[in-house]
Amino acid sequence: MRGWEDQEDASDRCTRPPGELANGSDVAPGGPLTLLDRLRLCQSAWAPGSPWGRDGAFAALWGRLPGSFLVLSDSSSQPQLLCLSVGGSDQPVRDFPIQRTGAVFHLPESHLGFSDLVQLVAFYSLCRDVLPLCLFLPPCMYSLTEQPGQDMSLLGPKFWLCPSPDQKLDDMSMRSTGITMCSIQVTSASGALCIINPLYLHEHGDDWLRPAPRSQSSPSGASQTANHKRERRLSTTRPWGGAGLRRLRGLSLDQELHDTPPDGSMSPSAPPPASPSAPGGVVLRRASQPAVCDSFKRRSEGALPVDSRRFSDTPQSPHRVSWIEEGPALSPAQHHAHRLPLVLADKMKNRLSAVGQAFGGLVSPQKRLNKRVQELSERKGGAFAEAVRAFVGHTLGGDAHSHPSATEMLQEVRSTLTRLKEALYDCLEIQVLIDGLGDVSDWELDAMVEGSLHKATLKPVSTHLYTCLREYRSRDGSLRQLRDNQQALEAQDPKGLGGTAGAGVPDPVTLERIQQRWASMHEAYSPSKKVQILLKVCKSIYHSMSANASSGAVFGADDFLPCLTWVLLRSDLTSLQLDTDYMMELLDPTQLQGEGGYYLTSLYASLFYISSFQPRLATRQLSVEAQQSLSRWHRRRTLHCNQSRRGKTRRTIRRHVHSEGAGPRREVGPADEDKPGDARGGAGTEAPSGGGAGALLPTAPEGLEVLGEEEGCREAPRTGSRAGTAEPVVCPPEGGQGEQGSAREGRGIPETAEKHEKERSEGREGEKEEGRFREEGFADCLWDGGTGVRGQAQVPQNPRTTSENLLGWE
Amino acid sequence: MALRELKVCLLGDTGVGKSSIVWRFVEDSFDPNINPTIGASFMTKTVQYQNELHKFLIWDTAGQERFRALAPMYYRGSAAAIIVYDITKEDSFQTLKNWVKELRQHGPPNIVVAIAGNKCDLSDAREVSEKDAKDYADSIHAIFVETSAKNAININEVFIEISQRIPVSEPGGGAGARASNSADSPPRAAAPAADDPPPKP
Repeated sequence: MRGWEDQEDASDRCTRPPGELANGSDVAPGGPLTLLDRLRLCQSAWAPGSPWGRDGAFAALWGRLPGSFLVLSDSSSQPQLLCLSVGGSDQPVRDFPIQRTGAVFHLPESHLGFSDLVQLVAFYSLCRDVLPLCLFLPPCMYSLTEQPGQDMSLLGPKFWLCPSPDQKLDDMSMRSTGITMCSIQVTSASGALCIINPLYLHEHGDDWLRPAPRSQSSPSGASQTANHKRERRLSTTRPWGGAGLRRLRGLSLDQELHDTPPDGSMSPSAPPPASPSAPGGVVLRRASQPAVCDSFKRRSEGALPVDSRRFSDTPQSPHRVSWIEEGPALSPAQHHAHRLPLVLADKMKNRLSAVGQAFGGLVSPQKRLNKRVQELSERKGGAFAEAVRAFVGHTLGGDAHSHPSATEMLQEVRSTLTRLKEALYDCLEIQVLIDGLGDVSDWELDAMVEGSLHKATLKPVSTHLYTCLREYRSRDGSLRQLRDNQQALEAQDPKGLGGTAGAGVPDPVTLERIQQRWASMHEAYSPSKKVQILLKVCKSIYHSMSANASSGAVFGADDFLPCLTWVLLRSDLTSLQLDTDYMMELLDPTQLQGEGGYYLTSLYASLFYISSFQPRLATRQLSVEAQQSLSRWHRRRTLHCNQSRRGKTRRTIRRHVHSEGAGPRREVGPADEDKPGDARGGAGTEAPSGGGAGALLPTAPEGLEVLGEEEGCREAPRTGSRAGTAEPVVCPPEGGQGEQGSAREGRGIPETAEKHEKERSEGREGEKEEGRFREEGFADCLWDGGTGVRGQAQVPQNPRTTSENLLGWE
Repeated sequence: MALRELKVCLLGDTGVGKSSIVWRFVEDSFDPNINPTIGASFMTKTVQYQNELHKFLIWDTAGQERFRALAPMYYRGSAAAIIVYDITKEDSFQTLKNWVKELRQHGPPNIVVAIAGNKCDLSDAREVSEKDAKDYADSIHAIFVETSAKNAININEVFIEISQRIPVSEPGGGAGARASNSADSPPRAAAPAADDPPPKP
């Protein structure tokens, strides 16, 4: 640790005549001593040697002033023991081990470390941190300065432990109040308070704490330069090590908050006479009050002029506790005001740990990033702001007819988001901010930038996007289908949905909680935030599953998916479907491979399962209709051949987007058909179909349509059931095999006429191939396995095709 | 040391022990503080392989027949798939063959396929001979091991072999990028030529 001493040395050199050792153990006679110097001088008094054991120390501390203490180091293996008189009736003396980790001394429960015992004691005399109260430094310690010739090594605990509680009280409180300044660094940036762990400085140095080059090397005029130093310290321009600070949110601080008695016993107006040495604690407890401020002023200016000058130097001292507090008194205009130190001193009268909230606010890099991105997006004339404005305007200007499908609408949004994110990374201001974050993984960083971007871009448009989504989904009938199947399936228990008996389901209370979470998921505009909420729901489900299970049971997807489905059947599927579309398309693709991606995929899959559910009975009844539609499809397909541009594969590939009849889908189909093939096949822009889960209608811009003989029959109910609105899409194999379908895949690229002819001639070959697959009891899966803009968490291009695959397995 | 994220998909009939295998694999590194996964459906584990760290992102799938159609959503973009069968259930081995075919046709090209015959501690009830399974695995160039999640046999080996078979990452391109490329790019048109149809057993 670049410690206190270094700093102390530096500042001492400034104030002392050259040639003298700055080290506190060898001080010029009559010279001013710092708290550390004094403590070091009489270390033998408060840390007596081997004859002193724990029992002896306890006995000696019995009845002493609360805060009286001794540090024992009776055994070499055992770290030092801090014995402290706490003044309680049941346990008047307590001990706290001081641990030593490497070169660092610390109390086990605290996260604050010190490079030596003296620093530790000095700190805990000013701030109790995890201790019940501050350490009490006896007033006699302050007399050491006046007797430089005294042999300090002879001092013992008797000297240290003042016999009388009330003796020299006033004197002492005056002095120790002034000393408070010594331990706290006052820093102002971003208007918040922070405490810096010495360990952090140990690791990262403290250059960031220091104002630019130190030009005050001259011994003369030291106190002025010290003031300058401090003033510069107070400027807001210092780079800030936010990422490191995040680690500092230590247990000790939290504990402090809880441990602090809520009563007013520590009020400044009535300091408990029994603990005069805890002025740090007493006064700091309270918010600034004029009286306190005045008295502080008087003390620091009058009572101990010499010391206070030294203390004014101490912000430079490496006590490594600093804070920044926002308030009217700290407005930038006042930063350099003369009375600033006093204002700050006043501010310092808050307990360090009582400011957790401000601390957290400062440390959250996400918030700072959000703020900066928001600024950028609102900056007049800024390129980024223009881009955001254009995006918002364009998105809000569109409606549910602007794009062929919801998927394409959302994909356009996503690609804009990605471009804007790139722009942010290129932005110098953001780069500076990111550099300041320190050790953040790329993954975390990306998630943070995404989060900020969502706020600037998606927040204004999410409601509108949802309106459009709902309209797309209503138009293609998928929402109705989903609700119908929800009713059909609602009675199923998880076992009926395929789960095993051992897994439980959420109880009504949990279910209610889950509904609330779904609601908040629906409210959120950021896809990342939505996924976080989804993860919470999944966690609840897992808890419920294993609540009554025998220990050691491992529940994988075999149990989770039925249970999730069970929960979904009791939820608002409409909102969930829209949310899923929103998340699927707008979530940063890089986040899709992880846990969020997995559970989002599960949600999608489960919704898809519900929407594509078909009772067997209906299937058989409608098979005739299916066959009819098959032949209708065949006829139409011949017509469409002329519009096709090209075919990429010998194995027949068909688009399935064909509309017939008066269904509302009609407007989608033909438009789609007329689109040039390359725009559709569109180089990797294909994505999970907007029709996706739930959509039985082939709204996806691409898809594969194939039916085997068996499949044709089973497919029938579905195709039949919606025959009124859309033509079932069935793709018979080339070569005129009639309604015997075959598994085929498609890339959605219409063939040209010539290609098509060629294909015909090759039809036989294709048949053989198909025949083999069928023979093996394996129907081709019909989703497009090879394209898609998303590399992971892909979903079938078309729900129907996937169902066929399901059936083909049987 | 470079970190590569490898998505691994688990396929196989329900009840063959897919999640138990993952659990066993992840178990020794399992620490609720370090591995904050919600449940056994999705788990991660990072292992060192040569000069790389391989972080396995293991996606479990539901094995019930009714959910089979959902599998493509899960195996998309996988660098590897572990297909699990139960050596005491002939049916589960037949299902495995179907999965192999499906992956050949619709899975990401170059996906590493591993076949795990689980429950090898129950050899008394064996229905699938090790030799048959091994021959089949060899014929499709798949990794083959018989495992016991219960007795922790060969669990790590599966993943080690997967690490060995994962193509060396190209400079500048991580596994994720590669995986997504492989999922996105080669059109299915190339499939008949590139993918030899699996021989019939």
